[in-house]
Amino acid sequence: MKTLQEFEAFFQKEMMADLKILDQRRRDQVKRYTWIVLLTLLGLLLCVVLYLNFGRHSHSSAAGYIYLITGLAILITSAIVMSTWARDKTFYQDFKQKVIEPIVGFVSPDLQYEPRNFIGADSFQRSRIFMKTVDRYTGDDMVQGKIDKTQIWFSEVKAEYKSTTTDNKGHTKTTWHTIFKGLFFIADFNKHFQTSTVVLPNRLGKGVLGNFLNKMNWVRREKHVRLEDPEFNKHFVVYGEDQIEARYVLSTALMQRLTEFRKKHPNPIYVSFVNSFLYIAIAYQKDLFEPTWFKKLTRFSLVKEYFEDIQLAVSIVEELNLNNRIWTKQ
Amino acid sequence: MEGGTGLLIALGVFVLFAILGYNRLIRLRNMADKAFASIDAMAKKRYDLIPNLVATVQQYMQHERATLTEITEMRAKAVSGNLSDNEKVDLDNKISRAMGGIMVAVENYPDLKANQNFIQLQGSLNEVEEQLSAARRAYNAAVTDYNNACQMFPSNVFAMVFNFRTKRLFEISEQERQNVDVKSLFRSS
Repeated sequence: MKTLQEFEAFFQKEMMADLKILDQRRRDQVKRYTWIVLLTLLGLLLCVVLYLNFGRHSHSSAAGYIYLITGLAILITSAIVMSTWARDKTFYQDFKQKVIEPIVGFVSPDLQYEPRNFIGADSFQRSRIFMKTVDRYTGDDMVQGKIDKTQIWFSEVKAEYKSTTTDNKGHTKTTWHTIFKGLFFIADFNKHFQTSTVVLPNRLGKGVLGNFLNKMNWVRREKHVRLEDPEFNKHFVVYGEDQIEARYVLSTALMQRLTEFRKKHPNPIYVSFVNSFLYIAIAYQKDLFEPTWFKKLTRFSLVKEYFEDIQLAVSIVEELNLNNRIWTKQ
Repeated sequence: MEGGTGLLIALGVFVLFAILGYNRLIRLRNMADKAFASIDAMAKKRYDLIPNLVATVQQYMQHERATLTEITEMRAKAVSGNLSDNEKVDLDNKISRAMGGIMVAVENYPDLKANQNFIQLQGSLNEVEEQLSAARRAYNAAVTDYNNACQMFPSNVFAMVFNFRTKRLFEISEQERQNVDVKSLFRSS
């Protein structure tokens, strides 16, 4: 595992030169956009002033329209200029290549990075973490590779479902709701197992009422599994198809490790064990591994965040001891 | 007349509660028994590995002949059946201890440690141990539910009437709380 100090050294030595160029391009684009916005506002203001002074007193209504049409033309022109000439078309792609890719390589040379690829919707559904049917699914920033003995895959994903409502006038309205947005991680688990076990954040607490409500679940075929670790139960609620296999997968050691992992990260964590694979979904509000327009790219505190988000996913292997292959699965 | 109806309703409600309470106790007891049966199944799986283990290690281990014979005998006794639950548990514990001893002794035989057959066997053994531990934990969870029903009001009334007795929990050893790793025994020795 790389430390933050090591990363800072790498950042200064290997990334700085590229970052400076990228940051210049970012600033140029922000500058261009600022000018365009200013000029557009000026043009619009001019139209309004001219209309108030001359158009209003004119006898024909056509004269009034001239100012309106001119104003619209100004808006359209600036929009076109902003999306063509003024836009740095390769900035996004170069950002991924010059910033995210080197960080992935730094975290582990055995990892491959594909900015446009992502964990497929079928894998997402196979995890049995989220039971809602997915209507729209996207993602990016796929990382995959082998950490010692454990194959891993992770990417940013966003899964949504839609609901349509029809009002009394017959207008239908479609609303999109997020099922999950964040980091989705898959690893080849170190034990064989056949049934599925799902570990969800315990939102209801472990009191009598919370326990009772957690037991009620009509959406999944897995049954509530009450485990013996009170600290673990405070953070998670477990559902499994098989009471024994759920405990085989969630050994007392793994429960402790999951609790520790949960305590370190404030974001909601969903875990499942299906078909000898481990799935972990970590919810994020922010978009992961994306450039920002208004922050300096050469600032360590910004780039550090990309490093930490990648490191978090890769650290799962170590934190959950997945390279411990003392059973029959190699 | 009205008093009679009230009494009838009260009696009906009581009978209903009794039926529900009784069925719940039966269900919980069956679950506990089922969990015990799976411990048995896992233990059998472990017994199946013993002849293999003995066959693999005895060519190497000169000084542990007695222990190996003892394990083989214990295994024969365990699979012969007609043992009470308590005897089974005792025998199981003895076998666990003897096997732990053998795994520690393996340290003295580098050739054996490198033997592919043995390494594979060690993996299977770790797996069975972990499954056994999972089965015991599942049993304990089931028994806790059952015992709670036997001791908590109002189901304890029916438990008393229908003669349901609480069951004993398995003691989970400190070693079992960790991942059962036979190799780690070597490191500590």
